[in-house]
Order: sequence, then C-alpha cells, then structure tokens
Amino acid sequence: MLIQYILVLFTIAVLLLFLRKRGTTKSAASVKLAFMLFVVFGIYAVLRPGDVTVVAGWLGVGRGTDLLLYALVVVFTFTTLNAYLRFKELELRYARLARAIALRQAEPPVSAGQGPGAERS
Amino acid sequence: MTDWSEVWLVVPVYNEGQVIEDVVRHARQTFPNIVCVDDGSRDNSADGIRAGGAHLVQHPVNLGQGAAIQTGIEYARRQPGAEYFVTFDADGQHRVEDVLSMLERLRSEPLDIIVGTRFHGDTAHIPWIKRVVLKTVVMLSRRTRKLGLTDAHNGLRVFNRTVAEQMNITLNGMGHASEIVEMIDHRKWRVAEEPVTILYTEYSMAKGQSLINGVNILFDTMLKSKAH
Repeated sequence: MLIQYILVLFTIAVLLLFLRKRGTTKSAASVKLAFMLFVVFGIYAVLRPGDVTVVAGWLGVGRGTDLLLYALVVVFTFTTLNAYLRFKELELRYARLARAIALRQAEPPVSAGQGPGAERS
Repeated sequence: MTDWSEVWLVVPVYNEGQVIEDVVRHARQTFPNIVCVDDGSRDNSADGIRAGGAHLVQHPVNLGQGAAIQTGIEYARRQPGAEYFVTFDADGQHRVEDVLSMLERLRSEPLDIIVGTRFHGDTAHIPWIKRVVLKTVVMLSRRTRKLGLTDAHNGLRVFNRTVAEQMNITLNGMGHASEIVEMIDHRKWRVAEEPVTILYTEYSMAKGQSLINGVNILFDTMLKSKAH
C-alpha cells in the first residue's frame, strides 16, 4: 500500500533529523534509546498492522487502532505535564534573571532631607 | 517616638498608579525605609513611587506578585541595618497601626514571623464570597491548619532577618502565599498570627483576587516541582 511507503519514509526522516540535531547535545541517552525503540515499533506497526491488533486482543482492546489511540493519549498527557513543569522552571530562571537586572538598576529616593529616613540610601 | 529605621516595608506594585503615591507617603510618615517593586507596570506607578519617596526597583517585565515580593526582600536584606521586614500591599488595604503592633510583638516575643489574619472577632466587614474562598483554602491545606494559621493568604506579614535571609519564593504568581506557609513549616520558623483589619475600599475590591485565581493557586501549588 502507498500509505505504508509514505509513513515509513516519514518516520525514517524524523529519526535521522532527531539523531543529527540532538546527537551532539548531552540529552539523556535513555530518551534517545526510547525514541529509537518507538521508531522501530512505528515502522513495524505500519508494515504489519495485523500484529498490533493481535497485541490489542491480548490486552482486551478491540482493534489495533484503538490501542494506538489509548497509548497516544497517555503519551500526550505525560508530554503536556512535562512541558508544563519545564516551562515553570524556565519561568523561575527568567524571574531570577529579571530580578538581577532590577536590583542592579534600583533607585534610592532622591528627596534628600525630606523624609525621616533621608540620610540612608 | 520610636525609631523605625531598622524596618523595611516591601511593597509589590503592579499598575497602582492611582493610589501608590498616597500609600507610600502615608506609610513614610512612620517608616523611613520603603522599597517598592514595580512589577512591569504599564501605568505611571514608577512616578508615584518616586514622588512618594520610596526606593524603586523595577522589573523589566511583569513577573507576578510572588516574584516582586522576593525581589523586594532581596533588596531590603542587603541594606545596612535592616532587621525587620514587612510585606505590605500597594492598594492601601493594610493599616500602618497593624504593622506597628505586629512589630512590637516580633521584638518582644520569641517569634520569627507574624502573619496578619482577618478571621478574629467580627468578620462582617469581609465580603462573604472572600470569606468562603479564604476559609476553603485554609480548610484544604493540612499544613496551614497544623501551624494554626487561619488566613494564610493575608498579604500583611512581618518577619525578622533570619526569615528574610532564608526566604526563597519560587512561585512567581499568586501561589507564593502557600509557598511561604510551606517555608514556615519546613524551616521551622516560629510563627504567630495577629488580628488585622483590611480596608476593603472600592479600589482594592476591584483589584482583589478572584475566585478563579484560587484555582490557579491550587494548581501551581500542587504541581510545584521539587527541583529547587
């Protein structure tokens, strides 16, 4: 089927892109391994969709497509949460950076001799 | 008259141009040292702060109230002679008299931090919806009850140098109140409550925290990553 060729080519392209872009960074090796396994599974599932249905049958899910959908929901939830936490952490770093700038440019009051605390700065 | 030069008021300011100058002026009649953290306001808050005679620290971008309080504390604690710190709202709903009685207590009793509470005696002046929200927040937090706090989301707090040195607010937004309660618990700060009166003016009511914000606070607190 044509769709099989398209999906396999696309998956291989994604894998190559991932390995080339991220290969140099120190991103966790386990993530890379998991991703490779995922890609291999993806290609296998495309070529032999019947087998996924068999696995789905073992797990008590009707069709292979349903199994993929459920797995996708779980992965998506995990990814969303992970992104949220990362975003929060980034926000904190950003706040600390902004704070450092703010403290550097602090302005003590100029009204010397006016208020009770004018002799301090 | 007592000398309050070792006291620093920390005031987070976000778009309070209408009132901030008066609030600062009024507080400065008693407290010489005030630092206002302008949290990226889009109005003339910064001019009001300058005119009122407070120290001005400006966030280059808007970060949230928690971040502004942390910035103010970091500024105040590096000032020579700073011993006592007060978090004070910019919208004029806190009373200087309450701060004074809290300071007296902090000086004379073995305490590290005193938090204001609205829930002492007659609470009729608190709008009922606020009462329900605040009570619910307290009810949901086991930690707050354990520490015997009745109003953890009160913005009026007075604390000593120990607390100021250890203060590390990581929730930029409104979740910082729960975070401070958590710090009180973890770092074993000696805490007490002091009844205070909140002046619910029309201005402060219009700006106050909404019910929706309570949801944000709960969410942020639950998902706070432990990585810091």
